[in-house]
Amino acid sequence: MINIANMAKKLEGHTFLLSANDLKTGKVLFYTSNGWLPELNKAIKIEKKSIEKYEKLLKIDEENCLIVSGRFVELNDSGSIKNLRDKIRSSGLTFKI
Amino acid sequence: MYKYSEIDKKIVANRVKQFKNQVDRRLSGKLTEDEFKPLRLMNGLYLQLHAYMLRVAIPYGELSSKQLRQLAFIADKYDRGYGHFTTRQNIQFNWPKLPDVPEILEELSKVEMHAIQTSGNCIRNISADHLAGLTIEEIEDPRPWCEIIRKWSTFHPEFSFLPRKFKIAVTGCSEDRAAILVHDIGLRLIKDKGDIGFEVFVGGGQGRSPYIAKKIKNFLPKKDLLNYLEAILTTYNQLGRRDNIYKARIKILLNELGIEKFKEFVEENFKRFSNKKLILDKSTIKNIFKFFKLPSLKPGLEKVPEIKNSLFLEWKNQNVLPHKHPNYSIILVSLKSNEKPPGDASSIQMRKLADIADKYSFGEIRVTHEQNLVLPHVENSRVYEIWNELLNINLATPNIGLITDTICCPGMDYCALATARSIPISQKITDHFKNYSHQKEIGDLKIKISGCINACGHHHVGNIGILGLDRKGKEFYQITLGGSAKENASIGQIVGPSFSEKDLMGAIEKIIKVYKKNKIYEKEDFLSVFKRIGIKKFKEKLYDNN
Repeated sequence: MINIANMAKKLEGHTFLLSANDLKTGKVLFYTSNGWLPELNKAIKIEKKSIEKYEKLLKIDEENCLIVSGRFVELNDSGSIKNLRDKIRSSGLTFKI
Repeated sequence: MYKYSEIDKKIVANRVKQFKNQVDRRLSGKLTEDEFKPLRLMNGLYLQLHAYMLRVAIPYGELSSKQLRQLAFIADKYDRGYGHFTTRQNIQFNWPKLPDVPEILEELSKVEMHAIQTSGNCIRNISADHLAGLTIEEIEDPRPWCEIIRKWSTFHPEFSFLPRKFKIAVTGCSEDRAAILVHDIGLRLIKDKGDIGFEVFVGGGQGRSPYIAKKIKNFLPKKDLLNYLEAILTTYNQLGRRDNIYKARIKILLNELGIEKFKEFVEENFKRFSNKKLILDKSTIKNIFKFFKLPSLKPGLEKVPEIKNSLFLEWKNQNVLPHKHPNYSIILVSLKSNEKPPGDASSIQMRKLADIADKYSFGEIRVTHEQNLVLPHVENSRVYEIWNELLNINLATPNIGLITDTICCPGMDYCALATARSIPISQKITDHFKNYSHQKEIGDLKIKISGCINACGHHHVGNIGILGLDRKGKEFYQITLGGSAKENASIGQIVGPSFSEKDLMGAIEKIIKVYKKNKIYEKEDFLSVFKRIGIKKFKEKLYDNN
């Protein structure tokens, strides 16, 4: 999970998802071909070389008050989310409430 | 219980109005997130992994039934039907929506509650012994003093942007149930030659650099309390580091300067500030004390009747304490069942508990820093009745002070700073040690779990402390032994390399075995055994592969 301020140069992987929280609800969203949606399986996979394009998009949508706390989520070689925090963030609490 | 003055009401109402305006400006784009963040934090609003989180202050852990009902209402209307009681006697809602927060604050203000100074680099909620005013051995009730400090510290113009957050705890007993020695300032009411005043401790804290507070004043007269606090805070405000967040707490300043030099600065400021304005006269103190009188308790049974019901007796022996009035008992309500995360209460439980408090305990509820609740004044003759009612809402778990009464931070399930999960670990412990007889056999033992080095789960001062770590993307747990947050406060010692999640329960089981094997009398508790035999035997057992 990389905060937007540190972004491209600090990313280590090759493929990422773009994620953020909904400004109003705080809900976790992913960038899809239909804009920001909660469905992880619809998220666009982003190659490292395209990061800058999505950084700009993120900035615009933050300025438009759609989202907050944007970040790139690293995927592993098999295409699933690499680190645990991002997994929990995308799939929810690991216990019943 | 304290009632808001007209000034209190006005301050809170103004803050609600002000925050509504700030939220509107944020939602319309007039404020950027960078501009808005410090404003929302000043109102206890965080953005966590999945949602916003609102932390609501419960001053010195005291709640009325009306307030608890309102918290249940907020949980249902604006959140997901539950609240989480924290290690600083506050409550957190984990799923509020940003546009709703001003309305939530307005609902809170209707019952004299708010979220002011529950975050940010200011003086946070003042915490206290949850048995304040209830025990025979107490020198004096600390709650009025907490209220006096609350009034002084709320929106204090000089202390709203301190180098870092600042926490104060107060106790009136020699037995410390408020963890005063791991606070930035810890105050203990003492009696000296017939006069009551304060022992003052400074520089305790946890996080990545844990310290036990050091005593800087043997006896502070009551009238000088605010002047002296002003002197300590001014010293910190002037000299505390602002260049490095990890070195910004007062504990670092005190240890860099040395206690003698630090005391000199404080005493100099104290002399400079000793003005009439902050001196507490007797009538001011008396007026505050009026709010904290005991309710009118009536004569009744000297003892809780021995009902022949083993479940009741287990609970009574573990969760019921004597009140200073001989015909009353104090009921500790455990929030550590095997069905919910530690400290969580559903809106149904909150509402029902509010009814129970009205029926049996003068409408009063306390929150403990160990994430449990207290019904402070229950007639001995009605203890069995109340147990039945608590049982119906799954709030009669008989485990206060036992191994399953864990303290636990929200961990990586909620928190954006955490490096590992803590709630599932706590649930595993509860499940593993669910046999009550086994828990009783182990006796008093505090397990405290943090999901990162910030130590919100107080792992440094757990008899067994568990710290969650990220090791190359996998959760590992470091164990510390021998910590305590009580009057004998100590920082736990790291036992050795960390354990995977899978191996953690086995490690805890081994620690318990070493403890049981080395007990020399039946009631010798874990901490005493640890102090007597040291860490070596535990290490040998934990890392011996044979």
